[in-house]
Amino acid sequence: MNSSTAVLPKYFMNSMRPKSKVWLAVFLGLSLAGTGFAQNGLKDIPDTSIEAAIAGFKLPEGAKINLFAGDPDINKPVQMNWDAQGRLWMVSSPLYPHIKPGQQEADRVLILEDADNDGVAEKVTTFADGLYIPTAVIPGDGGAYVANSTEVLFLKDTDGDGKADSREVILSGFGTEDTHHLLHTFRHGPEGLLYMNQSIYIHSHVETPYGVRRLLGGGMWHLRPETREMEVFYKGLVNPWGTVFDRWGQAFATDGAGSEGINFVFPRAVFKTSPGASRTLAGLSPGQPKHCGLAIVSGRYAPDAWQGNFLAPDFRGHRVNRFTLEESGSGYVATQIEDLVSSTHRAFRPIDVQLGPDGAIYIADWYNPIIQHGEVDFRDPRRDHQHGRIWRISFDGREAVQRPNIVGAAVGDLLAMLKAEEDWTRHFAKQELRARGEVAIEPALSEWVNDLAAGDTHAKLEALWLYQHVNLLNQELLRELLASDNAHARTAALRTLYFRHHEVEDAFSLASQATTDDAPRVRLWALSVLAQLDHPETVKVALGVLTKETDENLNFALWSICREHESRWLPAAESGNPFADMEQYLFAVRALGRPVGVDQVLEALSGGELDSDAVPQVTDFVSRVGNVEQLARLFAYGQAEGRTEAEKIAVIDALTNATKLRKLKPGGDLATVSSFLVGAEGATERFGKAAALSGLWKVEAARGPIEKAFLKADSDEALARAAMEGLRALGGPKSVQLFEETARDKSLSYLQRSLGAIGRAKMNPGAGATVAIEVLKESPDGKDPAGIYDAFLATRQGPAALAKALSSAKLPQEIALSGVHKASSAATSPQGLIKAIQKAADLKPMKSQLTAAEMEAMMRAVAEHGDPHRGEEVYRRAQLMCMTCHAIGGVGGVIGPDLVSIGSSAPVDYLVESLIDPSKKIKEGYHTTLVTTKKGDAFAGAVASENGDEVVIRDAAGQEQRIAKTDIANTTVSPVSLMPPGLTASLREDEFVDLVRFLSELGKEGAFKTSPKRFVRNWQAMMPHDSTRDAIGHYGMEIFVDPKVDYQWTPAYADVSGGLPTDELPKMVGRGANRYGVGRFVIAVEQAGSIGLKLPKTRGVTLFIDAKGIDLPEDAGETVVPLTLAEGKTTVTLVGLLDPNLDELRVEIVSMADAEKAARVSFPPLSEW
Amino acid sequence: MKIHRIARNSSIGERRDAGFRFSPGDVARKSLATFALWLLALFSPPIGTAAESFQFADGEVVAFVGNTVIERAQDYGHVETALALAAGAGKSVVFRNLGWSGDSVYGDARSYFGPPQEGFDRLQKAITELKPTVIISCYGAVAALTEGDGWTEAKAAAGHSGMDRFTFGYGRLLDGLTKSAGGTLREIVLLSPPPLENLPLPMPDQAKRNQRLSEYRDAIAELARKRGHRMVDLFAMMGGDGLSEGKLSSPRLTENGVHYTPEGYRKMAQEITRGLGLPVLDYSSGSASAENLREAIVVKNRLFFHRWRPANETYLFLFRKREQGQNAKEIPMFDPLIAAEEKKISALVSTVLKEINP
Repeated sequence: MNSSTAVLPKYFMNSMRPKSKVWLAVFLGLSLAGTGFAQNGLKDIPDTSIEAAIAGFKLPEGAKINLFAGDPDINKPVQMNWDAQGRLWMVSSPLYPHIKPGQQEADRVLILEDADNDGVAEKVTTFADGLYIPTAVIPGDGGAYVANSTEVLFLKDTDGDGKADSREVILSGFGTEDTHHLLHTFRHGPEGLLYMNQSIYIHSHVETPYGVRRLLGGGMWHLRPETREMEVFYKGLVNPWGTVFDRWGQAFATDGAGSEGINFVFPRAVFKTSPGASRTLAGLSPGQPKHCGLAIVSGRYAPDAWQGNFLAPDFRGHRVNRFTLEESGSGYVATQIEDLVSSTHRAFRPIDVQLGPDGAIYIADWYNPIIQHGEVDFRDPRRDHQHGRIWRISFDGREAVQRPNIVGAAVGDLLAMLKAEEDWTRHFAKQELRARGEVAIEPALSEWVNDLAAGDTHAKLEALWLYQHVNLLNQELLRELLASDNAHARTAALRTLYFRHHEVEDAFSLASQATTDDAPRVRLWALSVLAQLDHPETVKVALGVLTKETDENLNFALWSICREHESRWLPAAESGNPFADMEQYLFAVRALGRPVGVDQVLEALSGGELDSDAVPQVTDFVSRVGNVEQLARLFAYGQAEGRTEAEKIAVIDALTNATKLRKLKPGGDLATVSSFLVGAEGATERFGKAAALSGLWKVEAARGPIEKAFLKADSDEALARAAMEGLRALGGPKSVQLFEETARDKSLSYLQRSLGAIGRAKMNPGAGATVAIEVLKESPDGKDPAGIYDAFLATRQGPAALAKALSSAKLPQEIALSGVHKASSAATSPQGLIKAIQKAADLKPMKSQLTAAEMEAMMRAVAEHGDPHRGEEVYRRAQLMCMTCHAIGGVGGVIGPDLVSIGSSAPVDYLVESLIDPSKKIKEGYHTTLVTTKKGDAFAGAVASENGDEVVIRDAAGQEQRIAKTDIANTTVSPVSLMPPGLTASLREDEFVDLVRFLSELGKEGAFKTSPKRFVRNWQAMMPHDSTRDAIGHYGMEIFVDPKVDYQWTPAYADVSGGLPTDELPKMVGRGANRYGVGRFVIAVEQAGSIGLKLPKTRGVTLFIDAKGIDLPEDAGETVVPLTLAEGKTTVTLVGLLDPNLDELRVEIVSMADAEKAARVSFPPLSEW
Repeated sequence: MKIHRIARNSSIGERRDAGFRFSPGDVARKSLATFALWLLALFSPPIGTAAESFQFADGEVVAFVGNTVIERAQDYGHVETALALAAGAGKSVVFRNLGWSGDSVYGDARSYFGPPQEGFDRLQKAITELKPTVIISCYGAVAALTEGDGWTEAKAAAGHSGMDRFTFGYGRLLDGLTKSAGGTLREIVLLSPPPLENLPLPMPDQAKRNQRLSEYRDAIAELARKRGHRMVDLFAMMGGDGLSEGKLSSPRLTENGVHYTPEGYRKMAQEITRGLGLPVLDYSSGSASAENLREAIVVKNRLFFHRWRPANETYLFLFRKREQGQNAKEIPMFDPLIAAEEKKISALVSTVLKEINP
């Protein structure tokens, strides 16, 4: 293997400039042979000089940045790790993303040294080369472990010349289906295990001395190098990237392609995208940009306020985010605070972050204007293969921390370092002691432990971990920590027991005691330990956690062990209840999801042994696994006297699902279902569902009331729709007649007529098409709000039937355009129908591609004339529907990708192309799955979950559809984006240019970067109501919080800056010319205490907390309203008098400096308001 | 202070090496350049059904299929080097390694987003394209390493348990390979998996798994007998029958008790050659030409790896090919590079053989 050593200058490299120009010239030359697409973008290549990079940085006060190492001495860093000597190891991959035929496998492992401690590496050594897209390196055990695509190598320098001369494959069988998901990010845990990540498209099959181990999709492995035991720690996440352990050994992960910020990971946890997962956990910060890397600030060097901060690079947004974490139940809540660093330089790509031996923060900068390789061509000449930097962030006025002298230190000195404040020092002291081995460190270690003070809990934990490092278990220490007053120590001790339970005779009893510990996270780890044991009563003991409050993590872990250890309890549960009570029994049998214990559960429900809280669980359970008799029992239960509305609905849902998904109906007389139709007033949901069920069961006796409801579309559309489904299911000539008559009755509303046409089309697309065209022609505004087109697109025969009928019909252009939009984004991509609609309205096909010259002109226009502020207004226009599907920083729809940092990650030509032809490039995770049933119904959307019996598809409207697997004719991944093409066709060119400019600014440093301040971003706006004009005169503003008025609300989203533009609010009519805009939001208070609401100004604003009016100073500027809140949910309503003075409603949640106790609040999703 | 010592997955409590420090196993080292080559010429008859010794024909295309033991052979090149030399002068023989870590006879490890059957089909497709004349197959280790029936999740294995799960699957695989290879296939050779080693603590004692492996060896021998395949008992030839509980393996030929070191592969290459009834040339003390030959084979294997099992398949060929399918055209561009390397290999084989027989 070759080695090269370079001596770096001490200052930033001025010599970079000429080199980068040569490089640019080379690429310009290449591009001539490339595509027009690529040529356009070449103009986008940012200045590659170090000076340009430095000029782009923005840092918090007191922090500064310098280049630790940069190109040409290093390039393309992928991952980095320190060694005990304080040298920084990194893997470098210019080959990424794909080897070219004839290209050498020449990627490298580099070692960066800053021996003189001045914060700049003066020496770079090539430790190894000849590698093939290496994505991880970690020094240890006298060499270095390297992820090298399908393999893990152990490289070692046996002759001391600084370069590896021994290369051993120690693991193989990792997938390479996608090179940005390869096995990557190696970290050592506090106990000496090696943790390794792999991501979504990777399927790994590894033979270990203990058997084959497989991991399909994402997750984290752990390996004990000296025994080669390798197991999976958690599964899922899209691209699990950052891994970090806190001071007490709890693990956290970030996701380089997910959007939930930091994830708390524990054994057997499963996160989204894990193949076949029927249940997953969520991250701590939904709506976050993607993060790679993760580190925790510790030690004396960083400012006090930074201690414990989590650092997570947002590589798309050219910044490193900062979070604080607080404990919450068995998990944590995260709060984003000011960024560690951000940059306006478009090629700054922070992808790894580590604290250094000097306490400074080191950031690996992949340096690339192009990221990833899904959407942008592997061979796009803008892709950088040459540069890469390691940056170092230090703090003014902080005393330097002397780099610990670890290698070669006396054992006693190393043991003393286990009390260091710096995580770095404790970590590498243990690594060094591990390298010395058990013989060398004993008896010094035992003596050191004996001398520790009783309260020296953390040092004792470090000692316990050190024993683990040398593959030993100190049982006395383990037991002492298990009995500690400190919950973190008890948790950590259980964590050790998790890994080494084989060696502890009474592991079961220790774990059992912990299941009822006061601290929820101790209970969680008790479950993790139980899951490792082969004791027959693990589940029985585990269910004991239900005696205390549970949360999502605990419920997940309990569910998981019930399934994994089913053979231990199932036989006993078939004949009786082996558990403490029926609540535990219900939890266990539901976890299995099989017909076990259904009679016992029903018995317990009717006998009062299970209370009404359990009804939703029981109905869901019986629906999924009950037989006809059990369904009949449930049916009878639902019809009994005194059932609440919620109970009835739960029963109807259960029976509907059983009929639809399992083809099972209750035994006995079904006609009594009509009893659920009684009293429709104020019970729309129940009536609608009962109507659909009556249809499904063909109960003719129910037809009368259902027909009546169907004709009430104008007052209750949802009810009419449900009735339509009921009538469709009932079928027969009566339904046909009613649908056709309704559709053709010109005295009825367009909506009512549409529902008639839809019903007819669903019964028979051929016959329905003629009727549908008659209705469509008369659309008053060229829109199809009821979804006539959708009804045709949702069946196999529908598109062809409509196309056929259109061949001899004409359509107005507006309504035809709506049809083209809908058909173009349908997963089936019905070209015949699209052509037929275009022909019927004489529409010209939309331009879906720009020539190279047009693209170039467009990009120039965006750069020179685009106005991002105007572009944001365009983006927010309702008819463009951007916000219906896309969120920006979690604010908006969830159907498309979050655009929070799209501008900083996607080139301008990509944005233009995606607006014009959305299907050309589809973001991972947003592919549409198309499921066609044997009956001909088509369901398109994302697969939300899947098990042996059913698939759940989440459609474009966010609705979930459960489909029985036995009904499925075929399942395909659609090549079509859910985003309709031509959405921007109505824009003038200048508006389009502004829109692109706005998108291209998102996430970049400046006005369109989402601020970490806690502005209220998700609102509901009040819809106009007849009563306001009169009532306001009598009762004043209080009318807007009157619970007795049936106000309707619509979602409203703050703009990127955090304000809610008042000109977009529906106008509530007041007296005279007065118009009001009303917005409200809900905050969930998890811990009672005080917070402040900060308003920018008060003129024309009225504030209500729940129904109580709050006095605001008149016509004041920035005002903070202090609130003291109890636990639970609070609704805040703002009424704004609309005039030019008040251009937005804006509220920021701030903490009150003088408050006795700060409240902990969060913004719950709309569904929980 | 009571400290529990590790004993996990090891039944040998007394065999303790408290001072154990992890150190990686044997490493490939270029030997000193003595140019002697010994023709050991040990013509022991092959074990198995075919009594005649195996002969390579001119123009032979040999495909290796199997799990990790096959896949990693391409990294070291010893097996191909030994066989290429054993084929003799003037014969053009092409070797293609289709091994896949962790694979079972049902194709579990070769599948990507689909069930094991997808992996099974992937192998069949590769064989169809390659049209080998000889297939050398080594399966059984993954099944033997794992207790119970959990080593495969293939639907095709449903209703088959225990050893039948393996032999049924192996028969099905061999039927598939025969069909996929077509008329040009003249022989399938079955290798039994080589044995596991007992390494010092804290590595586990592998006596029990070796016992299982020997049962799989017997089943493979029986399958070979029934189907008329030649079988090479690597398990026995690599010393598997001599391993017992508590006895450390020596000399150490694996890096983790399961997977062979370069030295291990060198020995395995000899045993496979011997097992086929071919002359065993020992080039271990090193000839520059022989080492060049081995290195050229490793280079060729890397090129072929990028050709048949490229990274990024999701984007090049599968459900995201809309994004990067345009780059799939690069993959066949490895063919001329492989051909050029084969030429080099062929010339080096002649040189080495001339050095032996001037």
